[in-house]
Amino acid sequence: MNKGSKRLLTITQNGLLFIYAIFALFPLIWMVLLSIKSDTQMYTTTFNFTPTLSNYTEVLLKTDYFKYLLDSLIVAGGAVIISVIAGVPAAYALARYDFKKKEDIAFQILSFKFAPEILVVLPLFMIYQTLGLYDSYFGLIWVYQLISMPLLIWVVRGYFEDISVEIEHAAQVDGYSWYQIFFKMLLPLIKPGLVSAALLAFIFAWNTFTFPLLLAGSKIQPITVAITKFLGTDTAHYGQLAVAATVSALPAIIFALCIQKHLVRGLSFGAVKG
Amino acid sequence: MSRITLENIHKTFGKVKALDGVSIDVKDKEFFVLFGPAGAGKTTILNCIAGIAMPEEGVVKFDGEIINLVETAKRNVAMVFENYALYPQMTVYDNMASPLRSDLYRQNEDVIKERVYAAAKMMKMENLLERLPSQLSNGQKQRVAMGRALVRTPNVFLMDEPLAHLDAKLRNAMRTELKEMQANFGTTSIYVTHDFMEAMSLGDRIAIVNQGKIVQIGTPDDIYYLACNEFVAQLMGDPEINILSGLLRKNGDNYSFLSNGSEFVLPADAALMNKLAAYDGKSVDIGIRPQHVMYSFSKDAGYRDYQVYSYESIGNKSVIEAYPAGHSGRGDTHTHVRMIAPNGLTIKIDQLIYIDFKLDHTMFFDGSSKEFIGCYNEAGIRALSAGKEEA
Repeated sequence: MNKGSKRLLTITQNGLLFIYAIFALFPLIWMVLLSIKSDTQMYTTTFNFTPTLSNYTEVLLKTDYFKYLLDSLIVAGGAVIISVIAGVPAAYALARYDFKKKEDIAFQILSFKFAPEILVVLPLFMIYQTLGLYDSYFGLIWVYQLISMPLLIWVVRGYFEDISVEIEHAAQVDGYSWYQIFFKMLLPLIKPGLVSAALLAFIFAWNTFTFPLLLAGSKIQPITVAITKFLGTDTAHYGQLAVAATVSALPAIIFALCIQKHLVRGLSFGAVKG
Repeated sequence: MSRITLENIHKTFGKVKALDGVSIDVKDKEFFVLFGPAGAGKTTILNCIAGIAMPEEGVVKFDGEIINLVETAKRNVAMVFENYALYPQMTVYDNMASPLRSDLYRQNEDVIKERVYAAAKMMKMENLLERLPSQLSNGQKQRVAMGRALVRTPNVFLMDEPLAHLDAKLRNAMRTELKEMQANFGTTSIYVTHDFMEAMSLGDRIAIVNQGKIVQIGTPDDIYYLACNEFVAQLMGDPEINILSGLLRKNGDNYSFLSNGSEFVLPADAALMNKLAAYDGKSVDIGIRPQHVMYSFSKDAGYRDYQVYSYESIGNKSVIEAYPAGHSGRGDTHTHVRMIAPNGLTIKIDQLIYIDFKLDHTMFFDGSSKEFIGCYNEAGIRALSAGKEEA
């Protein structure tokens, strides 16, 4: 390949990437732009507007916005923590031990993700009403397991399966107890998978709308549900909506940036092979 | 330092019988080799001793104490795994130090450093200590796995083909080192291999394992000269022993062996002839090592006509494989005879070659059961082997 065509290739590649970047980032940029426009300038398509922070003060200071944010954090964070505590041992068992109907159980866990939320939410609503779980943190964290647990178990299971069982045997021979082996030898090896699966589970839980909409009401309002409040009965306050959406996207974005290097590697299997 | 006893161990994996009544008694300070073809159950025996596998039946004893229910960690065994089983997240140094950092076998860091460096020096890998296992070649990984075992002072070393992935030169050097190290430490060692050279040179005693059973236990000389059946005889030795099937017939005072239409008059050996008396007129197999086959390119008296099947170098010497001349069964490898020859002969495939056997070095096997009957100078060999064992 000569120099000219090589350069052409680079230009084309970068050009395509640039177009894709615009395509991917445009909605986000538009959202941020909306959040600093006043309602009167909302529908102008020129960039000629006076930036204002009034939407921010309106949303962040004059509503319970941070309470909603905290609710989301408690529910999604709680769901992920419980998924990790229960899911990692479950994944280990599914990877290592041979028991009856093992694959059926694994598939059953995965199948929780198959059903659309709207399909199961009505019976859940009835059950929650009866059990008194309606509109409680516990109830929401519990139902969020449907979202976070299968993902975590399946990703982490793959990681455990990639670790050869002889490594555990070697550690036993070296004089370590099972718990020490688990925390010293296995956990570092599954860490990339665990971290990325937990993050994805967190984002899914954070974004979920149907469950909190129907299973929580007045006391607990995760951000996804609370945002609908800014759709007034007569007008939609797009500026305020944009603020609410922008701020609520921040935690996930920050987490993702923090563990970016694990994320790419983490979801591609076989990273553990020594 | 410990005597390891296995009594009637049975172990199955699903429907596969991995071990079928294995009993061995490894003496204190002994270098014991488990030798056998792939899938024979050698590794499973080690796993039972280490406590990684739980036998369904039978007992494992360390120094006469039954330890079936003792956890692996508390048995104080050091094991080298065939697939290395290094901890990928730790450097070579940390890998080797790991047994000395566990609660049960803890040492202070100075001692650890000293021992790790000593082991690394022996393995010739001082320059690798800072690397991660993923940055090592297979041979290097294997040395790290060895090193991790050698830093300890265990009851027993269990080594599962620890030299299999090393290059030939290093393997020879390590073999010598291992033997010397074991003699110095005086630690009981159980060593799995499928390389007969390793088995012969390292083992104080060798156990031949096949299909989950112990076929024969003995000193290397026992196993080599007094193989208990044809399977063992064929396993030990490279190139493989020649087995000829035929008929035994008493001819006056002498016995002769009829095979492939030619008659071999057997030299006299009173003890052997007594044993062979029961086989008069019955089918027997004789085993004769390739170094006891003589060949010539001119027709000498008593030599038989063969044709060359192949001629290949195995380093400082070559192996000629030949088949009976004019024999229709050129592809019938049972009738082939292997012999040792010097390198650099000009030999054409299918050319005539004349062969005779040093019959006073043969072993006799039952033609149907393939069990050992006897061999020449058996008493002498036994005395020699027993003498060695005592020393």
